Amino acid sequence: MTSSLVTGTPTQAAEVFLDAFARHDVEAAMAVVDPQVSVTVHPLGIDAQGADALRTVLADVVHAFPDLMITVARVITTGDVVTALFKAEGTQAADYAGAINTEKHLDIDQAWRFATADGLITEVAAYWCQAQLYRRLAVKRYDQIAIA
Amino acid sequence: MTEVTQRCRTAESAAGAVAEFFDRYRAHDVDGMTDLCSMNADFSYVPVELWGKQQVLRGDGKVRTVGKPLWGGLIASFPDLSLTVHTIAGNDEGDVVVQVDLEGTQERPWGLVSPAGRRYREPHLFIFHVGADLLIDSITAYWNDAGISRQLGHHEVD
Repeated sequence: MTSSLVTGTPTQAAEVFLDAFARHDVEAAMAVVDPQVSVTVHPLGIDAQGADALRTVLADVVHAFPDLMITVARVITTGDVVTALFKAEGTQAADYAGAINTEKHLDIDQAWRFATADGLITEVAAYWCQAQLYRRLAVKRYDQIAIA
Repeated sequence: MTEVTQRCRTAESAAGAVAEFFDRYRAHDVDGMTDLCSMNADFSYVPVELWGKQQVLRGDGKVRTVGKPLWGGLIASFPDLSLTVHTIAGNDEGDVVVQVDLEGTQERPWGLVSPAGRRYREPHLFIFHVGADLLIDSITAYWNDAGISRQLGHHEVD
């Protein structure tokens, strides 16, 4: 559910989102996201509009890594934009990003840039290295991701 | 009496220092890029990691010992290397965040990627910190190295 009553600062919006993501509570994270949010997840090739796109990104991660742990290293606020640097760790329990489940553990440092307006996240751009992710999930080739 | 004029660090002046850094990067002026950084500036290219049998080498260290050779090597491998800054935003604490695309055509080996004359363009996110002296004292960057490898025709996950 997206609440139009949220009126926090840009930093608060990002922190609420990250705290909820860390708790695996996708809907609580989406509560501070504008329904028309612009979603760019560079390593997954996602460039979409709308909350459902972001909801799917979060849900896929939580589903594939049920012991997901998010450790935020830094939150940088520059006006209405908040950039969070964090590490995502977890053990694969389902296929993810084309990689079959090999029950490998991964740890990926990433940066997410949130643009906000009126206490809601209006843009998300996520950066991490998919080479690092595939390396940890024992993928050998980019053109044969499903073959471990 | 000698009057000393010193620029004070604001969000705008910090962002200006970083904009100058990318202008010099676009001009392949590696020495000039380095000159904009403090002597002991920290450096972290997060995606850079080389897995050996007993250790993993990472792109972490100092600008002068790790960053400068990486910048020079990238320009040598991609002689037409260019960049497009999309957003640049700073705060009064000296943090500056930049969305930038880097692109170039490979003419020499880059890491384990052999040259095939292919071109890449990849979005990057840079996080800088600019000190009170308006010198950059920290550079961290994120991007998807798999995207670069695929565009260059290198399909092994090294």
